[in-house]
Amino acid sequence: MNENKYPVIVVGSGAGGAMAAYVLTKAGHKVLMLEAGRDYDPKTETPMFKTNGEAPLMGSGNVDKDFGFYDATVDGGWSVPGEPYTTGEDSEFLWWRARMLGGRTNHWGRYSLRFSEHDFKGKSRDGLGADWPFEYHELAPWYDKTESLVGVCGTNTGLDDMPDSSEGVLQPPPKPRVPELLVAAAAKKLGIPTAPMHRAVLTRAKDDRQACFYATPCGHGCSIGAAFQTTTSLIPMAKATGNLKVVTDAMVKNVTVDDQGKVTGVTYIDKNSHEEVSLQAKVVILAASACESARIMMNSKSKHHPKGLANSSGQLGRNIMDSTGTGLGAFIPSLAGRPKYNEDGHTANHLFIPWWGHKAHANNELDFPRGYHFEISSGFKQPGSGVSSGLQGYGSSLKQQVKDKYGAFVYLSLRGEMLPNEHCYMEIDEDVKDKWGIPVAKFHWKWSKHELNQVEHGLKTAKEILETMGATINHPLPSAEKAILKGGQIIHEVGSTRMGASPKDSVTNQWGQTWDCDNLFVMDAGVFASNPHKNCTLTIMTLAMRNASWLSEQMKKGAL
Amino acid sequence: MTEKYEVKLSRRESLKWLGALSASSLIPAGVAFAVETELTKGIGHWPTLKLSPITAKGYGKDPNLIIPPKSPWPKTLTQSQLNLVATLSDILVPREGEVPSGSEVGVPDVVDEWVSAPYSRQQRDRTTILSTLLWIGDEAKLRFGKTFNELSSAEQLMIIDDIAYDKNVKNEEFAQIIPAFSRFRSLVLAAFFSSPAGMKDIGYIGNVPIMGDYPGPTKEAMVHLEQVVKKLGLTL
Ligand SMILES: Cc1cc2nc3c(=O)[nH]c(=O)nc-3n(C[C@H](O)[C@H](O)[C@H](O)COP(=O)(O)OP(=O)(O)OC[C@H]3O[C@@H](n4cnc5c(N)ncnc54)[C@H](O)[C@@H]3O)c2cc1C
Ligand code: SF4
Repeated sequence: MNENKYPVIVVGSGAGGAMAAYVLTKAGHKVLMLEAGRDYDPKTETPMFKTNGEAPLMGSGNVDKDFGFYDATVDGGWSVPGEPYTTGEDSEFLWWRARMLGGRTNHWGRYSLRFSEHDFKGKSRDGLGADWPFEYHELAPWYDKTESLVGVCGTNTGLDDMPDSSEGVLQPPPKPRVPELLVAAAAKKLGIPTAPMHRAVLTRAKDDRQACFYATPCGHGCSIGAAFQTTTSLIPMAKATGNLKVVTDAMVKNVTVDDQGKVTGVTYIDKNSHEEVSLQAKVVILAASACESARIMMNSKSKHHPKGLANSSGQLGRNIMDSTGTGLGAFIPSLAGRPKYNEDGHTANHLFIPWWGHKAHANNELDFPRGYHFEISSGFKQPGSGVSSGLQGYGSSLKQQVKDKYGAFVYLSLRGEMLPNEHCYMEIDEDVKDKWGIPVAKFHWKWSKHELNQVEHGLKTAKEILETMGATINHPLPSAEKAILKGGQIIHEVGSTRMGASPKDSVTNQWGQTWDCDNLFVMDAGVFASNPHKNCTLTIMTLAMRNASWLSEQMKKGAL
Repeated sequence: MTEKYEVKLSRRESLKWLGALSASSLIPAGVAFAVETELTKGIGHWPTLKLSPITAKGYGKDPNLIIPPKSPWPKTLTQSQLNLVATLSDILVPREGEVPSGSEVGVPDVVDEWVSAPYSRQQRDRTTILSTLLWIGDEAKLRFGKTFNELSSAEQLMIIDDIAYDKNVKNEEFAQIIPAFSRFRSLVLAAFFSSPAGMKDIGYIGNVPIMGDYPGPTKEAMVHLEQVVKKLGLTL
């Protein structure tokens, strides 16, 4: 390929970028992928079967490795050295990044739930937030294709919150564990359903990837390819077409435009030589993660795009949403001293609690507009740096207290839908540059009563479930303001370049094509019009697959 | 009980133990370290430490995960501190039949690595844990005129019995040492149970590959669950 003009440049190699590159290269287009992080090979770099005891500080987390020593994140976490971000007054926001090939797909939780018909049309229902510019049934076949390609285990439940996949798409889920079954029994008594979690984890071998062998936490990465990450699936498959070239350590600074404001390519900093490199492309796809893509666009101002690239709507950087997060845990006396067995499983939820309140919402019985789900944390986990609290004494009786409590804690984590609001947005901090000389993002954040009321409801419900399991919870529940986690902390940030039906109130159309530049696409969570409580990544990939397929048709037709 | 704690090279093939160079001193080599112990009659004593901060570097954001850094930062406990940690580890986690004691699985190395680490949580624990060690040493001197390791088991336990239970916290004399000792105890337990012998002792049987489908709970585990569910008035 001509070294100076590429048919397509994709920025970012995570969920969105790798899917876009996969679809396009399969369709015969030459693609150049630029990735800011270093090259990364899960086959040789994943610490499989390593124990906490073998790691410094028993594997516990710190500023270097926020989620523990073995977490697969490279050069990232809540902070990236030399690449700060700032926050506005009275705003707290946390931004998780990973500077590596494959981005955050190397260590994500792999929870992969479809959004439903209900989720795409929230505004039509309650007047809040924004509708998506299409219906669920238009995306459903693409969900099927994505789930088949990525490999998702789970079952069709028929629940209104969980749209079914087509026959034969899902792989069988693993059997539930004892504490999960007890949660299910307690929830059932309260009229709350539980269901097998859907996870991008293979329980049957596929392509070059093996089935899960039910050991080794997926957050460490998965050298056998069972847990989906783009570095063991989409990227090698795209490379195998011969149409993909990947350049790592390439930090994209801005998108370039011509005199007419049409996109001509990108400029990046080669992190090894510190030199600026400009490349030309017919089409540029940004998939650097929602806030990075918006940052690149804001840093690409020009005569035709004075407020930032493709920002005639003024919506660039607005409408940022995360999931809400909080949780409650308790010691369950009846689980103390229960018979031991191997509870590793696929090392995350086998069962979870999907949102059950659609009817209550329809009947106006709730004082918050959008739903949530609970993830269940429990089990005979590999011991690490934490031990149970409230221990007394020493010697054999002390050890016995630890053993009795082992596997008898259950924690319910709430993950809920947030609505966009005018106080949650990002801009460029003109006073601060990162070490590559690129102006940094500045975040503003404020929860509204919608989220706080939801969190309050969630805490009460979690308490009820735990008490029904026999827990004694003496302490008063914290206020929602105290209990809600910070913006960004659930790592589901979306909406910074939202799609819509009109160029007036959205940055892209339903294909992720910016209204202002027909050869600039966004294929990460920036395009989300809302942020349903179901974790975002399956939908990032599904949209990228659908929209890259549409783009391919346009290019083949000569429209682009 | 351990006389002199020897660093367990096997635990993570630790590099040469640096603290050994300053053998049997309470003051780590090269570390400015001032101790003032206030003795107030009736209220007891509590050491005030002025520790110079640990300036070592962490392992960074891209450490080798396959071969974890063996000795990511210099250890800072002195030989006598290590000996005391070993003795306390074995009081907290004594040998039980085939199951080794705390010091036998290298707990003091882990404690040393922990308190010597350059991260904020560990730096907070360092003050707590060094204060705990000093308090116990001072208490042994005050009560028996000897170091803690020179005491008989019975004498050692007289001190530990006073500080190992939350109920004694009402006694002002122990108000500070009880929560501090509790933090130390948690660290010792974590270090023990995350060792291979400790994992076995607690009954963790994962981290082994399973061919085919995940088998789920054993029959015995299900029978137990069914009883629990019934007792709680629930149904599966
Ligand atoms: C611990 C953890 C658990 C999670 N669990 C779940 C879960 O269970 N389910 C779920 O749905 N989601 C989960 N997520 C979120 C999920 O990881 C993200 O939604 C997803 O990875 C986003 O995909 P992306 O392609 O937009 O961005 P990323 O995966 O972050 O990839 C973006 C890539 O672009 C690169 N890049 C950034 N800026 C530039 C630039 N200027 N130039 C060139 N390259 C650049 C980055 O280095 C990165 O490699 C989790 C995240 C974390 C951290
Ligand atoms: S639990 Fe299964 S999917 Fe997850 S990392 Fe281990 S082998 Fe891979």
